Amino acid sequence: MAHTLSMMRRRRRLAAEFCARAWVCLALLLMAASANAAADGLDERLAACAACHGTHGEGVSGAEYVPHLAGKPAGYLLEQLKNFRDGRRVNAQMTWLVQFMDDAYMEEIAAFYAAQPPRTRAADTGASDLTAAMRATAEQRVTHGDAARNVPACSACHGSELSGLEPGIPALVGLPAEYLIAQLGNWRNGIRHATAPDCMGEIARSLAPEDIRAISVWLSQQSHADAQPPAPAGAFVLPRACGNLPHAEPAR
Amino acid sequence: MSRRFGVAWFALVPLLLAALAVGGVLFLRQGGFAPYRVPAGATHPLTATPEQVGRGEYIARLGICATCHTTRGGVPFTGGRAFATGYGTIHSTNLTPDAQTGLGGWSVEEFRHTMRNGVSRHGVLYPVFPYAHFALLRDDDLDALFAYLQQLPATARAPTPNRLEFPASWRPALVAWRMLHYQPATPDGGAGESPQQRRGRYLVDGLGHCAMCHGARRSMGSLPAAGYLAGGRIPGLGWYAPPLDAQQLRRYSTAELADYLRSGTSPHGTVYGPMAEVVYGSLRHLTPDDALAMAVFLKSVPAHVAVPNSAEPAAGPNRDADSGADLYKRHCEDCHARDGRGTDKGPPLVDAVAVTAPDPANAVRMILYGAMPPTTAGNPRPHSMPPFVQQLDSAEIAAVANHIRMTWGDRHSNLSAGDIDALHGIDVD
Repeated sequence: MAHTLSMMRRRRRLAAEFCARAWVCLALLLMAASANAAADGLDERLAACAACHGTHGEGVSGAEYVPHLAGKPAGYLLEQLKNFRDGRRVNAQMTWLVQFMDDAYMEEIAAFYAAQPPRTRAADTGASDLTAAMRATAEQRVTHGDAARNVPACSACHGSELSGLEPGIPALVGLPAEYLIAQLGNWRNGIRHATAPDCMGEIARSLAPEDIRAISVWLSQQSHADAQPPAPAGAFVLPRACGNLPHAEPAR
Repeated sequence: MSRRFGVAWFALVPLLLAALAVGGVLFLRQGGFAPYRVPAGATHPLTATPEQVGRGEYIARLGICATCHTTRGGVPFTGGRAFATGYGTIHSTNLTPDAQTGLGGWSVEEFRHTMRNGVSRHGVLYPVFPYAHFALLRDDDLDALFAYLQQLPATARAPTPNRLEFPASWRPALVAWRMLHYQPATPDGGAGESPQQRRGRYLVDGLGHCAMCHGARRSMGSLPAAGYLAGGRIPGLGWYAPPLDAQQLRRYSTAELADYLRSGTSPHGTVYGPMAEVVYGSLRHLTPDDALAMAVFLKSVPAHVAVPNSAEPAAGPNRDADSGADLYKRHCEDCHARDGRGTDKGPPLVDAVAVTAPDPANAVRMILYGAMPPTTAGNPRPHSMPPFVQQLDSAEIAAVANHIRMTWGDRHSNLSAGDIDALHGIDVD
């Protein structure tokens, strides 16, 4: 009798364990299915984005001024969507489309474009020529900054490959010069803002005006084979405070 | 000499008396002196129950208060949003309990009075503030709303000065406007209406102030009773609001309409333009019962007689019929279907307001700049409409808009490239 009882107990425990495992399996399956369903159809839903940014955020011919989205860090893309919605960044077409969107959909959209193969080849095929002097200035600023103006090197935050840093710093390669110049100008004029402390605002205002064009055109001519991803989070430490990203303590 | 003066007086006195009499009648009609006697501020602190504050939050959402009283990215309820009118730009005010710039120190009596009469301690308010609608609100709802506003963080925000032309810039001139165009609302008995219909009327005419956009405007921005929910171009926004009545809403079942209000989408169409903001800021928070009450009431509004649109071009041959059909096939058919009845990706064009409306603004603006419906619990991942301003020129947009409106709207649409150019520009503040 006792024997049967313990058998029954063991069977019951095994059954319970099996059920628990089955539930975990089922939950995992459901999660996978819903993740699939989440990605499913998003490109169709985002037809408005595709008109200027391309179906997978790779860019569209005829709209070269528009930045690509593919493979940029999700944190950066999400921040930009919120900025357009909440007026920290100004582009009437973008604000028009995202102004009545909650954070959840924005997160999904940011993750969708971040997961696309990074587009890091040069955008400008017919970019303006750089004089030797402009090229020298640009290379100096990009790799060493401008100590006299307290401007760090571009590569100090955007990486030695200039392909960005997870989760919040975008690639600088693959962008049109016009776009880069416009962004630096917008930061200088207080039209574009990033989460405080807004390091790019400080840098754009500190840059020598004559350097902006040289740096932007030079950057637009750099090209990686496609799919050069941003450096993983923590690959290097930012030299100064930028938004909520980890950074080195200021030297005292 | 003196005799001539005497004769002049003799002739003038009756005229003056008549003018005074008419003025007196008009003054009495706008409420007499009562609206200008604003009750004094608070003498004792407000006591509010958590239930009251919770109800007040719901009422604030249904009244769309924060949408008008917040700038983009600004602190909610602190005001400053700009409203373009035919007489200049007016800015909303700070509703938080800040003592200097907001409603700090107001009594509930003062709040009720201002909401219902459009006169505050600062003077007569501009009718951009929908006090004619809020006059219908019950005491308990106004008190709950006040309780909610008073527990918000007090935030100082200096008022943005209005930029108005004379005489609109001179507040006392608003008394003259009220004499011509305003009558205090008399609570509509709604005889013969079910409690559900009465609740719907209360939400539509009172809190929701739907007629501010869906009413037909007449001279000096007035909203006479004759144009009640009759539809028209919304002043300052450049979008067309359709009439709201049994005829216009016939394609919706009551349940579909209630769901449309909360989710922003339906088998018959999806919200866009200013209505997207109303759903995002307000209607998505409706309880199912309140949404149903609004739908029941709206579907009971008697059909309006269609007013011929003098601005619509005369009927003429559709010169672009071929190019319009071709453009539709290339750019629209994938989502809206060959027969215009829509797909999973795009709403039907058949019977859509943008297609059937006398005013082409909605169709043209959507083709130009696209649309993204508001995210709601019922539609958390909306399908968007791409902007075509990058791909198509004005002549092509005219051709495809004419094609759509003539094929499924039964309209004599004869838009030219110039008409499209005139509708260019996105207004986001």
